[in-house]
Amino acid sequence: MYSGQHLRVSDAEREAVTDRLAEHFAAGRLDQAEFDDRVERAMSAKTRADLSGLFAGLPGTGAPAAPELPRDGGSAPGSPIEFRLDAASGVPTYLQLVHQVEHALRLGYLKPGDQLPKVRDVVASLAINPNTVLKAYKELEVKGLTAGRPGQGTFVQATLGHVALPELAGLHKALLGWLGAADGAGLDEDGIVALFTSALRDFYERRGGTGDRRGAASGETEGVA
Amino acid sequence: MNIVETSGLGKRYGSMWALRDCSLAIPAGHVAALVGPNGAGKTTLLNLAVGLAEPTAGAITVLGGLAAGSPAALDGIAFVAQDTPVYRNLSAADMLHLTRNLNRRFDQPYAKARLGELGIPLNRKAGKLSGGQRAQLALTVALARRPRLLVLDEPVAMLDPVARHDFMASVMTAMAAEGVSVALSSHVLADLERMADYLILLSRGRVQMAGEVAGLLASHRLLTGPPPRPTDTPNGRWCMPSAARRRPTCWPAPPRTTRSRPAGRRTRSTWRNS
Repeated sequence: MYSGQHLRVSDAEREAVTDRLAEHFAAGRLDQAEFDDRVERAMSAKTRADLSGLFAGLPGTGAPAAPELPRDGGSAPGSPIEFRLDAASGVPTYLQLVHQVEHALRLGYLKPGDQLPKVRDVVASLAINPNTVLKAYKELEVKGLTAGRPGQGTFVQATLGHVALPELAGLHKALLGWLGAADGAGLDEDGIVALFTSALRDFYERRGGTGDRRGAASGETEGVA
Repeated sequence: MNIVETSGLGKRYGSMWALRDCSLAIPAGHVAALVGPNGAGKTTLLNLAVGLAEPTAGAITVLGGLAAGSPAALDGIAFVAQDTPVYRNLSAADMLHLTRNLNRRFDQPYAKARLGELGIPLNRKAGKLSGGQRAQLALTVALARRPRLLVLDEPVAMLDPVARHDFMASVMTAMAAEGVSVALSSHVLADLERMADYLILLSRGRVQMAGEVAGLLASHRLLTGPPPRPTDTPNGRWCMPSAARRRPTCWPAPPRTTRSRPAGRRTRSTWRNS
């Protein structure tokens, strides 16, 4: 099936591909670095052949998918999210879990009433200490984001995102376009982050600090993507 | 409740002390990791806890005050020794049969269900199983005794990363589901980092440090710098200038060795209370 592999791709196709990548990212099948890398490759793709390798190892797409490992049971049937660990990040394990829940809340993948994965399932898939998961869930509870129901599990109580999903997707797309322009101008990843961070600071300073700063405290670096 | 408590514990083999002056109190509900170089006394301490060795000095109790090795203590402790030994000529089913008849409490349905989940054939001889399956069989036998304390001596040293992950996931699941406390020794620090929340650092038969990981990390710093030169050692002590205090921090210089140092700069890193 190499017919059309040499055809040049349109912006619409690039966006469709990045949307699908974003779905995989939200589902936890890609980590931040992989996602960024693949989106970058998608945005700079010239032919269909360039796009074809982007879904390598991901299920549910045209590309050959890696078989689901039997021990990959991080999400309980009741929970829409699945945790992943980045051992090289240096971030404590419990904080990684907290950040992933906050991230999912901010992007609308978790809504009030949704259940977080059961401690047992998280422990079984990641091989981490159950106390670590309990500590993360406790932290989320202290922040008022979740509540534990005895005998049932931990459920989302509040939300961090006030923007509707379609609107988020549009903003995401606009940001990707901007990133393409920044890349075209010769900025590397660190440069883009520096520029974005300084623009973000200017924006809120100009507004006199009246903006919702909740997101800036813990999630501004994740919020970029 | 303290799952293991020792005071002045010591064990001597011939003229050599494998463990000395060991005073510990490991609280229940933790994964306690014993870390240290070979010969530090990790296995000795674990053997003392399960009653396979008698202390030369001091005392050790387990499960909130029971004498180590007493029948009551043995009922509540399961031990998987180094290299997860099983009887190689017995089939998995025979292993379960034997263990059930040797113990007061044994959850046969649980053991069978677990082996089924893991895809370990009951009629195959343990010697013909893969290393990972053998380790899981030994763990299943241990967990089916429904212990309150699971003691593991270098459980994953011989396993590949996938089998290691599966093995430790099983241990952690048992901990989450049944509230088992775990004490283990291991050299795989990357795994310990994610699992252990109580750390005991042993070296040359002595406890160097013990405590909850979060507390230890908060109160210790890693210092890296050039080695102090002999001119820096007034009264035979090594001194490091300290940013936080006016006076330098000093400690006794180690005995001079006759070996000459290799040329070039060397760095010395040390754990120290901040």
